[in-house]
Amino acid sequence: MTWGALAVILVWLATFVAGQLFFKRAMDLSSNLGFRNHKTIFTLSIGILVMTTSFCLNLGLLQRFDLSYLYPFQGSSIIIITLLAAIVLKEKLTPRLILGTLLITVGVVLVSLS
Amino acid sequence: MTKNQPRGFANPWFQFVLNIIGVVVYELLLKAGAAATADPANGWSWIGINALASPLTWLAIAVIIVDLVIWLYILRYIPLSIAFPLSRTVDVLVPISCWLILRETISPLRWCGIALVIIGLVIVAKPAAELEERL
Repeated sequence: MTWGALAVILVWLATFVAGQLFFKRAMDLSSNLGFRNHKTIFTLSIGILVMTTSFCLNLGLLQRFDLSYLYPFQGSSIIIITLLAAIVLKEKLTPRLILGTLLITVGVVLVSLS
Repeated sequence: MTKNQPRGFANPWFQFVLNIIGVVVYELLLKAGAAATADPANGWSWIGINALASPLTWLAIAVIIVDLVIWLYILRYIPLSIAFPLSRTVDVLVPISCWLILRETISPLRWCGIALVIIGLVIVAKPAAELEERL
């Protein structure tokens, strides 16, 4: 894998994680302020934009690599999203949740490696 | 998150199952669409635009849009730190389905991975069950 490919994979991962955080933030805003509130619409729009970027990069990567090759990278997003949900969105994170998420992450990577 | 949880078809956990099925379908469609239009010699193909030439990619996009709406609905009721790890149920469902239905063999390393994911899901399911009780 070239440095360029690694860079694209990292941007793909970063946009995927950011998109999920924007989506959750938008849905929390929609619960409190409603769907027509400009903050909800703006946050959701940013989420869709970021996720669309991630989607296009994913397509480009799928043309060069097998799905099974890319899956370990996607697997790593599980623990990153969970940790960032606690840091950015202030979601409650228990040791049990962290342990379960870590096991799922390692399991997904093993499934895709073999 | 603090809203009363809807029942029946609108129940977020039922929608969760639909979402997982959608992910399996669109992942396979995307790979098929991307493979059918692969052109590594084209530098612009890194951004994936040429995959749009395949009808399979457009079908995948339609499934993704429906799945996105379902996912947003789920996120209204379930924290991201619980919903996202649980959504990876798909990573054990696909190989186990292939093993049961298609009689494909699964390597010992993959079985270990599947076991870890299942144990992880059981552990994460506890906070999810507690959340269910609060709702």
